[in-house]
Amino acid sequence: MYNYVEDGDSKTTAYVEHDQAKYDAFMARIEAGDKIEADDWMPEDYRQALIKLISMHGISEIMGALPEKEWVPKAPTLRRKLGIMAKVQDEMGHGQLLLRVAEDLMKPYGKTRENLMEDLLNKDLKFHNVFHMPTKTWADAGMVGWLVDGAAIISQTNMLDASYGPYQRALQRICQEEVFHAQHGESIIMALAEGNDYQRDILQESLNRWWPSLLMFFGPASAETTGSSKQDIMIKYKIRKSTNEELRQAFLSKYMPRVFSLGLTVPDETIHYDENEEKWIYKQPDWEEFKQIIRGNGPRSKERLRIREIAYENNRWVRQALATEPVGV
Amino acid sequence: MAKESDFYQVYEVFSRRGSKAPMQHQFSLLAPNREMAMMMAQENFMRREEVIDVWVVKQNDIRKMTSEERQSMTNRLDNKQYRTTKGYGYLRQKWKEKEQGMLDEKEIMSWKEVKKK
Amino acid sequence: MSKLIETAELAKQDATYLQALKELLFQLADDDLLIAFRGSEWLGLAPHVEEDVAYSSITQNTMGHAAMYYNLLEELGAGEADILAHGRKPEERRNGIYLEKRNGEGTYLDEPYYDWALAVVRNYFYETFKKIKLEAIATSSYKPLANVARKVLMEHPYHLAHWKLWMKQLGSSSEEAKKRIQDRINEAWAEFADVLELGSLANDMRSLNLVMIGEEEMKDKWLEEIQSVLVEIPVGPLGKKYGSGRNGEHTMDLEQALNTLAEVYNSDKTAAW
Repeated sequence: MYNYVEDGDSKTTAYVEHDQAKYDAFMARIEAGDKIEADDWMPEDYRQALIKLISMHGISEIMGALPEKEWVPKAPTLRRKLGIMAKVQDEMGHGQLLLRVAEDLMKPYGKTRENLMEDLLNKDLKFHNVFHMPTKTWADAGMVGWLVDGAAIISQTNMLDASYGPYQRALQRICQEEVFHAQHGESIIMALAEGNDYQRDILQESLNRWWPSLLMFFGPASAETTGSSKQDIMIKYKIRKSTNEELRQAFLSKYMPRVFSLGLTVPDETIHYDENEEKWIYKQPDWEEFKQIIRGNGPRSKERLRIREIAYENNRWVRQALATEPVGV
Repeated sequence: MAKESDFYQVYEVFSRRGSKAPMQHQFSLLAPNREMAMMMAQENFMRREEVIDVWVVKQNDIRKMTSEERQSMTNRLDNKQYRTTKGYGYLRQKWKEKEQGMLDEKEIMSWKEVKKK
Repeated sequence: MSKLIETAELAKQDATYLQALKELLFQLADDDLLIAFRGSEWLGLAPHVEEDVAYSSITQNTMGHAAMYYNLLEELGAGEADILAHGRKPEERRNGIYLEKRNGEGTYLDEPYYDWALAVVRNYFYETFKKIKLEAIATSSYKPLANVARKVLMEHPYHLAHWKLWMKQLGSSSEEAKKRIQDRINEAWAEFADVLELGSLANDMRSLNLVMIGEEEMKDKWLEEIQSVLVEIPVGPLGKKYGSGRNGEHTMDLEQALNTLAEVYNSDKTAAW
């Protein structure tokens, strides 16, 4: 699950001299809808935008496994235990697919998966805002599966025609699995919504808590909000089709009717669909808080990074022990 | 301490769905050797798919087309009808005049069984 | 009684048979549930991403096996499968004690200093044993159980091959890896014995042909198989340092496991989740 977000203080990219003829040929391919492959010539800003996008996407999958995983051993029935385990496994699997795509793009820079993990632990590589948030009840497991994944599906399907072939192929696999994720989340939510008072209470409380994060999911509407946005380059190079706000609107259109149909409310009394403007009107989340969250100052940022760091460092001896071939196989 | 990038290799993973299906490329993974690559392959990419066979191949051992080759060697003129049944479509009418059916792909592929004596 | 018992209804007609059968099913179910629970705590924390995904499949399969045994118990009138899995007290649990052992220091939520050497040794020891026990019940006199055993055996070879490869990989690698594995083998040697036992009704299980070989033979087969892979076999007999889980004896680690796995279940036992 993913969306490309900017915190406004990204490092400036050095201007790289490029060959105009190659650039023109590249743009002609992009315009014609051709797919670019890892070993094709590509302009530096395209490569760098892809690396940033896909490594953040991949790492967000892996960090995103952690909040949901908190509920894997605790799931209330055998069927729920199996369902959520398969779902979180898929998230790790999505991380695997995306890291592989990012690794091939980073090859010219001599960077590997090891470097990505180190960048994450150094806070140089950011992960998605929603995964910095705490989970408090079983309803959160449902909420992540239903609405957070719902938002992720909106942003990921928007890139299914991405101009970069390996990313497109990874997204194809990912989005197919997301169909299962969506239904897994709906199933947990449906049981709670149709359950007893306690269950409906934890469900509503969970939605109230996740609401700002869901709005933030798609990133700010424009560069002015947080100071920087890579939306333009993503659209110019046909990596994605729509802007942050267009995606947020699509999310609201798809999901708000469902939220209301379950008798749930959101903590924004002003939210409504304006028929004349043909868009959802809603209260803006606190974008300053968003900036802080993705810089690693969210409520659970430190703890989640710590878990990732322990898993990485504590298992180093295992990876080191893989340098030799197994004997007797 | 060894650098992980020195011994982790990229393996390409292929699988076959059924005995009539071709080997199909699935994705790639990082593994330290081919036994480990094989042990990871099926559960990483084919958790929800029928599989009757899996191959893992070290990416370095594959001679792939280069970027230039992909663009220069994959183009063909559209004048090869003599290679396909398309160039022989007129036979349908000829046989029809002789009150015979056309032995087309569907017909020929249905000849798996012949009458037993 | 040595004839085939085709249904739960028929099994219920003989009290001795029913009791031995239920005891055996609780062993099978609880063993798989506990090792799968420990596996589920590992999710997201494995040495590398590809292994994380592969290990989780094994964990899911194993929990699926536990569910099949709990369902057989439900058919026999022991109670609902989910309640059997989530609601039984520690002293009612029949899993081998080594299978409830924590994954290492910390918890999966806080400072998870989990030990991959423990995961490898435990899973290899357990999967080796599981194959032997399943083969011993694949022709069990209780037909529904024999059917389940044969199904489980179908997806078991991958589990065993996976952990065997890890044993071979780590057992022949760096000095550190070899030492970590050997330390965990020595530890397991002192704790694993009750896993190989059938508990107080072992004789009934064998004489009623619920299992087609006895616990001594299972243990011998297990030792033979283990010895073909281990570089160094610990001296002395296998021990059961903390008692026998087959008799309901357990450690604090089981309490921690049950508190976690039943946390949501316990929050409202009347709810449909």
